[in-house]
Amino acid sequence: MKSLSKTLFLILFLFQTAQAIEVIDILGGKANELAVAVIPFSDDDIDNEKNQIHNVIKSDLSRSGFFRIIKTEGVKSLPTNSDQVDYTFWSGLKAELLVIGFVEKNDQQIKVTYNLVDVFKEKLIISTEYIGSLKQARQIGHQISNVIYEKITGTPGVFHTKIAYVQKVNNKKFHLNVSDMDGFNAKSVVISNEPIISTRWSPDGEKIAYVSFEQKKPVIFVQNLKTGDRKLVANFKGNNSSPAWSPDSKKLAIVLTYNAFSQIYIMDVNGGNVQRLMRSPSIDTEPVWSPDGKSIYFVSDRGGGPQIYSIDLASEQTRRVTFEGKYNVSPRLSPDGKLLTFITNDNGSYKVVVQNLMSNQVMRLTKGKNDEAPVFSPNGHMILYTSKESGEATVLKTVSLNGFKQLFVDTGSLSNQEATWSPFNF
Amino acid sequence: MNKLFYAGIAFALLAGCSSTPINDANAPSAGAGAGAGAGASASASAANGELSLDKLRTDSLLTQRSIYFDFDKFEVKPEYLDVVNAHAQYAANHPAAKMTLKGHADYRGSHEHNLSLGQKRAVSVKDVMNTSGANDSQIETVSYGEEEANQNCQGKECDQDRRVDISYEVE
Repeated sequence: MKSLSKTLFLILFLFQTAQAIEVIDILGGKANELAVAVIPFSDDDIDNEKNQIHNVIKSDLSRSGFFRIIKTEGVKSLPTNSDQVDYTFWSGLKAELLVIGFVEKNDQQIKVTYNLVDVFKEKLIISTEYIGSLKQARQIGHQISNVIYEKITGTPGVFHTKIAYVQKVNNKKFHLNVSDMDGFNAKSVVISNEPIISTRWSPDGEKIAYVSFEQKKPVIFVQNLKTGDRKLVANFKGNNSSPAWSPDSKKLAIVLTYNAFSQIYIMDVNGGNVQRLMRSPSIDTEPVWSPDGKSIYFVSDRGGGPQIYSIDLASEQTRRVTFEGKYNVSPRLSPDGKLLTFITNDNGSYKVVVQNLMSNQVMRLTKGKNDEAPVFSPNGHMILYTSKESGEATVLKTVSLNGFKQLFVDTGSLSNQEATWSPFNF
Repeated sequence: MNKLFYAGIAFALLAGCSSTPINDANAPSAGAGAGAGAGASASASAANGELSLDKLRTDSLLTQRSIYFDFDKFEVKPEYLDVVNAHAQYAANHPAAKMTLKGHADYRGSHEHNLSLGQKRAVSVKDVMNTSGANDSQIETVSYGEEEANQNCQGKECDQDRRVDISYEVE
């Protein structure tokens, strides 16, 4: 356990200072993953195997990149509570943590009891119960994963959060769907005959801004998720696109063209008080607000190819942020504002990268070849993006900053793209 | 009086089909033209109803509606100047004519940046038209970016997606 806490300390230190990205790269692979065995929860009553609580926990912990799941198939005596744990056996399997639990069913109610056990210290770390309906089995699994994740990493988990994305159906219908962060429970919020792009969840969680082509040109709508209302907030001459929420959810940075090149404006969420942010002789697009609200990062072709710049809103001083490569687009900031993710064109292959804004070190997170639209999880530990193999439909994937664990987001459908992630509290 | 009345309706119809600015207070002064305001003066001659639709449908140049661009390029290539100038001339001769220049980009890269690249191509065609007498208020440049592009094109196949389509409102 001593070496374990050291490793953990190192990982957390790296995340919190956000300086030593290169070190994570060197550790790489499985070196910094904790080995965890998730014992089946005797929840066979839950009809779909994927919805069984232990499988939800396994999937969550694995996706985070902090945990390596130890297989329990073939193990004869699986414990259902911490008293039954054979520590010698589990340390022999090199398990560092055990998740043990059981489900008691009473009509449509389930009571889930679970324990998190430290194998090396032979100690019970957490023991809790959850009660809910059978339908809430997945949510209970996500809550358990969140508690375990926060206990081990010191950072709240995001397994209960939602994502929204655009699903292309036979290239004829375009659905704006909201689902759990792992793709389950997808529901359509908007269905259109014309493309939808650039979905952006408001920081207060209540709305999603997006670009629709339903007026035969790009215009910006804001969908209220609570009331179901939607409002056309920008329909100026030319294109209206790339909405970006201010941290207080009261303003949108948008891109307008009139009869000229893409330029960035700021307006109130209801569409009023439109102000031009700056004038540039070339394309300015894809604005994104820094979490402190003091600056806006954006893409500009002012230097030739597209690069990422930032403008300080008080001084109106602009500076270039990316220097490596000839094509860098789709910037998004981590919740602490210290990391920038974007897409870089690396010899014809479009990859997700992350740049430390203090050291300006750039780290590649994916191999390409057609990755797009990266967005940070609300805790900054994962990035959701669109991936596409040659000749195939687009899919959503997550990649963890810790260990670069890449996992498919199984929404039950293909041709998903242009995703956004809800805030913590939705 | 009657004539004026019909002119008003014609304008209303034309304006109704183009973008309906719900909050167009901030149109930039440079390059963008005067939008709906300038359209109103142009609409006076719409009363004549002389849009010469037959010409649009039969003229060998005016029936050509797509302008293609090289990879990562935005200049109108010399072989398309005749077509672009013919449309500009048509617009100059028919002040009531309103056209949309719809730019496109191939699928590679970000949706938003491709939207901007398609727009840059549309503006490039508009600039040529301006020099040939077409008024900015007759033209709306928009972009579909990569949204109508072949999402699996390779090599030369992708050339089709780097283009600007010309369409008229009355059609």
